Amino acid sequence: MRYSYIKPRKKTPFTPDVVLIVIFFSITIIMLVSTYLFLLYKDYSFENERENLIQNRLALEQNIEKMERQIHYIQKQQSVAQRVFTQNMVLKDSITNLFDLVPQRITLSRADLLKKGLILYGVTPSKDVYNFMLQAPLRSIFQKSYTSFYPAGNGWLNFVSTNYIVNDDSGELDSED
Amino acid sequence: MLDKLFESLYLKVFVNIIIKESSTLVYIEIHSKKGVLDNRQAEFDTLEPNEKMLDFIQNYIKESPFYYISVLDNSLLQGALPTCSKNRLAYYYDLSNCEYKCYKEKWSYYTAKAELYELEKRYSEIGLDFIFSPFLIIANFFQDKIKSSLALYVLVEENYISLAVFEESNLLYAEHLDIHAQNEDDEFFLANDENESVDLDLQESQAGIDLEDIEIDEDDELEDFADIEDLDSIEEIEEFEESKDIEEELLESDTVFDEPDEENFNEDYQRFIAIQSSVARYYKDERYESRFIENIYIADSVSVSSDFKKYLEEEMFLNVYIRHVEIEAELCELTKEELGL
Repeated sequence: MRYSYIKPRKKTPFTPDVVLIVIFFSITIIMLVSTYLFLLYKDYSFENERENLIQNRLALEQNIEKMERQIHYIQKQQSVAQRVFTQNMVLKDSITNLFDLVPQRITLSRADLLKKGLILYGVTPSKDVYNFMLQAPLRSIFQKSYTSFYPAGNGWLNFVSTNYIVNDDSGELDSED
Repeated sequence: MLDKLFESLYLKVFVNIIIKESSTLVYIEIHSKKGVLDNRQAEFDTLEPNEKMLDFIQNYIKESPFYYISVLDNSLLQGALPTCSKNRLAYYYDLSNCEYKCYKEKWSYYTAKAELYELEKRYSEIGLDFIFSPFLIIANFFQDKIKSSLALYVLVEENYISLAVFEESNLLYAEHLDIHAQNEDDEFFLANDENESVDLDLQESQAGIDLEDIEIDEDDELEDFADIEDLDSIEEIEEFEESKDIEEELLESDTVFDEPDEENFNEDYQRFIAIQSSVARYYKDERYESRFIENIYIADSVSVSSDFKKYLEEEMFLNVYIRHVEIEAELCELTKEELGL
């Protein structure tokens, strides 16, 4: 304002019409941009979620594998336990049978239960007692049976009976393991 | 920065309003970066902005947000003072109710605040950006002459006269007059003339007595009057002729004056009377630095008659130079200057 008595009004290209158009377009652009950003964010979050799910799935698959291995191991343990139990039962029965087998007149001092055999140590009043009362049932069980006698101090005989099963019955042998 | 960019993209529309005696002239100039694209003008038979005039203006200003509306101040309570110093201004005029501006730190121009408010109110529908003083138009229009010579510069409008005495860019005296009001004043003075003439006679008779006394007392000096012939010598006349502005006369030789008719003659006579009385006031008023005016430059917007020039030459012994001025275009130039274009 050098010469004029009054100051000129502030001039701006933003007339009400222009302002309206600018507002309309800016709102539209803002909405478009926000939608785009929202979609970008959603895409990103879905991608993240997908990654997480893949990781989870892998972890779960590994877990399943591990658990399957455990199940397999436990099943194996169970079968082993079962077999041991069965073997123990068999052994128990065998021992019971063995002691049932031994007549009252013969005294056992020691019994070695082998994989495929049985060694009995004891005293018998006579060979005949032994042969009739113990040898006969042993022979029915074992294919090979060797007995050696040597005199004890009181006139009785000490004996060592070694018995073997010859034919290979693997199932039975395995069970004895 | 952004504003400047937008401003350069848009057209600029300058609306210049000149309020005449019974009509309003609207001059519109449309500018692009390269220069003037178009200009239009229309005159409306109204002093107040009517619907037709507003429509005309709106039609152009809606083309660009960068439009500027300027109006030439025609207030009677305006003038110019030969100083810019605030302390000195009051010595010439009481500016308490006036708006004033300083022109290039040399002189000031002022107008009544009430008149500015009135103008702004009148054009409140379209608003105003600039209000210029007619003295600015004188200073701009005659800037080539004002720089160098002492003269009386006059802007003649339909019913107003703005006159200013400049000496080498310094304002000595200025006045803005309504020629019709001036006429009424003169009539008032004429009515009182009979009373005053008695006083004048008395003064004259006293002066006569004094002269006689001098003649009796100072006989020796009478011889000096023998030299009075020198005044009529050819050399002196030539010197006087030298003060004429040859260049301006050549320019003026192309000017064609209107054939004087009765109405024009009346108006021109009133203008002459206004100028004469104003010059008399200038010489008489002790507050202003009196200088003898030989030349008068007239910016004529109404096509004055040759009689007007003749009057000034014969009655006031002035060298008269008349230039035609398109006030509306000058106003537009001021607007552009104000905006730094």
